[in-house]
Amino acid sequence: MLAKEMIRQSLPLIILCGLGGIVAGSTLGVMTDLLTSIPGLIVVIPAIIALRGNISTAFGSRLGSAYHLGIIDADNIWNIELKQNIIGTIILSFFTSIIIGFLAYISSIFIGIYPDPVKLILIVIIAGFISGLILTQLTIIIIYAVFRRGYDPDNITGPALATFGDIITMLCIFGTAILVEVIF
Amino acid sequence: MYFWNCNFGRGDLLIYNWKKIVKHGIPLLTLTALIEIIAGQILQGNQSFLIGLPIFLISIPVINSIGGNIGSVLGARIASGLHVGYITLDIKDKKMHDNLITSILMGVFVYLLLSIIIYYSVLFGSIHTELKIGLIDYTIIVVGAGVLLVCIISLVSVLTAFWSFKRGLDPDDTVAPVVTTVGDTLGILLLFILIGVVV
Repeated sequence: MLAKEMIRQSLPLIILCGLGGIVAGSTLGVMTDLLTSIPGLIVVIPAIIALRGNISTAFGSRLGSAYHLGIIDADNIWNIELKQNIIGTIILSFFTSIIIGFLAYISSIFIGIYPDPVKLILIVIIAGFISGLILTQLTIIIIYAVFRRGYDPDNITGPALATFGDIITMLCIFGTAILVEVIF
Repeated sequence: MYFWNCNFGRGDLLIYNWKKIVKHGIPLLTLTALIEIIAGQILQGNQSFLIGLPIFLISIPVINSIGGNIGSVLGARIASGLHVGYITLDIKDKKMHDNLITSILMGVFVYLLLSIIIYYSVLFGSIHTELKIGLIDYTIIVVGAGVLLVCIISLVSVLTAFWSFKRGLDPDDTVAPVVTTVGDTLGILLLFILIGVVV
């Protein structure tokens, strides 16, 4: 009985996330030329996707808990608690993006590949920052819709962010890589 | 425990404070970044192979997201079970075994379904006309790597939940980051091992 409930509630969401993964993967599939022309780009992709996932699900679950504690609700969403959360999330994205770019550069040198450090770190920071802004906004929209309908945000935000997060982050990396490649 | 910073009754007006969010987030995220970079280096080492056979490039986010999701769901269920008390801190717990086996079976089904969807979407997609790999070989590689990943990740998930609970930490905070990070690295590693065996 327990197993049945687990399959009924989570199987559709897991399949949906997998389909989202196909869209993210296809974006990676059309990026093959960029991957060849920017050494080190492929190294940062799993890290940026994981960073986005970790930061935005933590943001989502904090907002979920804030809802349960009665700090925010549909009528009172743009308050100071939410603003503190947004500032924290964006600064955290910025710092970890720098760390990722730096680690990718150092580890590539050890392996004997010499990426352009400016290009690589710039791609990570811009892609991390833009996807951070979009996902923070998206989280607030999802949370708002969930509040309006009176659902429990804990059940919805995690899988929804996992599905959209991968796709949006992948598209941001793709766009930023093209931009940086054109400028430099 | 990293992201949840609540300071009731200390005189602070705010429950959330951006400095605390940043301070508590950085250590775990740096560790995650370090392990994910290792996963990225495995990809870089096999870059020319992946560019020659982009179907595997497309499969990587799928393999990782399914593994991570099944592991997180299992971890959250075990965590709730431990909190409520219907699962005990025992390696032989019957309910924990049921959850573990259901997760693995779900993994077999979802990987099989999605590997067929990916194969045909790439076959009929306009971008990559030549596939250079058969449906059976491809399915064996993805399902093989995926099921091995789900088996290992489910064990990691249960062990992390049990360990956290024993230590007095909330498994809800620890399981998800551990499972996603281990899952990403292991998923990529297992994919290349299976490719080596089959192709």
